[in-house]
Amino acid sequence: MTTARLKALYARALRLYPAAFRDAYGAAMRQCFADALADRSISRRTLLPLVLKDLVISLIKEHFAMLRETYSRPTLVFNALVLAGISTVLALALYAIPQQVLRNGANDPQIEMATNLKARLDFYGVTNGLIQGALANNSGIVDMARSLSPFLIVYDDQGRALGSTGQLEGQTPIPPNGIFDYVRVHGEERVTWQPVHGSGSVRIAAVVVRVNNGSQPGFVLAGRNLREVETRESQVRQMAGITWISMLGLILVGTVVFGWISRPKHTQATV
Amino acid sequence: MANGTAAASPLTPAVFAILLALAESEKHGYAIMKEARTARGGGVAMGPGTLYGTLDRLIRDGLVEESGTSDDERRRYYRLKALGRTTLAGEVGRLDAAVASARSLGLLPQRSRR
Repeated sequence: MTTARLKALYARALRLYPAAFRDAYGAAMRQCFADALADRSISRRTLLPLVLKDLVISLIKEHFAMLRETYSRPTLVFNALVLAGISTVLALALYAIPQQVLRNGANDPQIEMATNLKARLDFYGVTNGLIQGALANNSGIVDMARSLSPFLIVYDDQGRALGSTGQLEGQTPIPPNGIFDYVRVHGEERVTWQPVHGSGSVRIAAVVVRVNNGSQPGFVLAGRNLREVETRESQVRQMAGITWISMLGLILVGTVVFGWISRPKHTQATV
Repeated sequence: MANGTAAASPLTPAVFAILLALAESEKHGYAIMKEARTARGGGVAMGPGTLYGTLDRLIRDGLVEESGTSDDERRRYYRLKALGRTTLAGEVGRLDAAVASARSLGLLPQRSRR
């Protein structure tokens, strides 16, 4: 290959460099290569592989340096971070608000049932009320693990179960004492109750109210399996997550595009 | 390397070779490349891309400057600035200490005193 051809090839290869670097050093690099070709102390067999390897490595370095300069501008990064922060807050709200609405809505039938039974037992007392058929239920016992139907449990003042329309694994579960202590003071509590933990866990949306009968005080618990509600909460979480990631992706693309468009321009020079 | 401050050791082979080549006198691009390739210049084989990329960073960091002397408008001459000279001296000192340590461990022959 002739010297002129090699010089022409090298001049074309220099167009691969970032514009700013090419404008500053393109002519000097061409001259340097020409000087090297003219120097008889270095053979072409040594020079050409060296220049080729140098071309590849320095192209990568200079383009990375250009990317760093283009996208590490403080304003660009700051704006991108601010937008990412706002997107994160919005995504959290997109999850938290529907999740709270779903969870609070899960208490609705239980609130009515507990309030109605409490009104009756406030008059009769927990024991006499049960004798009177306060928990009469034509639908049979509700399986708390499988059924989505609400159920009622009546406890005495010591927290012992006196009657129930729901059972878990054939027994009437008892909530932690802390719940009864709280309701004894405040009158009502709404909790997520997990009577069974582990792989077969059961989570109940429970409303516990105080029965204020002087001689036969106690508690009424109305509950419902949260399985369906939690499935919907999971769907909301997935949608919020997808929305968040999509927003971050848009911010990234927008930052790259804007950074490229607004980068310092250089006048074109012929290499 | 922070602009206007001494570079942290150690220097890359290309940086060291360029600073060493310019320590003697100002030079244009190919002269620096040729000097760097020799054993006394550091034995670093570099092409124009590495040379001018490194020179660009050295100029930004204040170690080297264009001297403005040119016998050809396509040949650009460069010279060391004071900071470049200090940086080079610091690197040479570091290497000298390493060589002295290697000698004391018997890895290099002791210098004979004449």
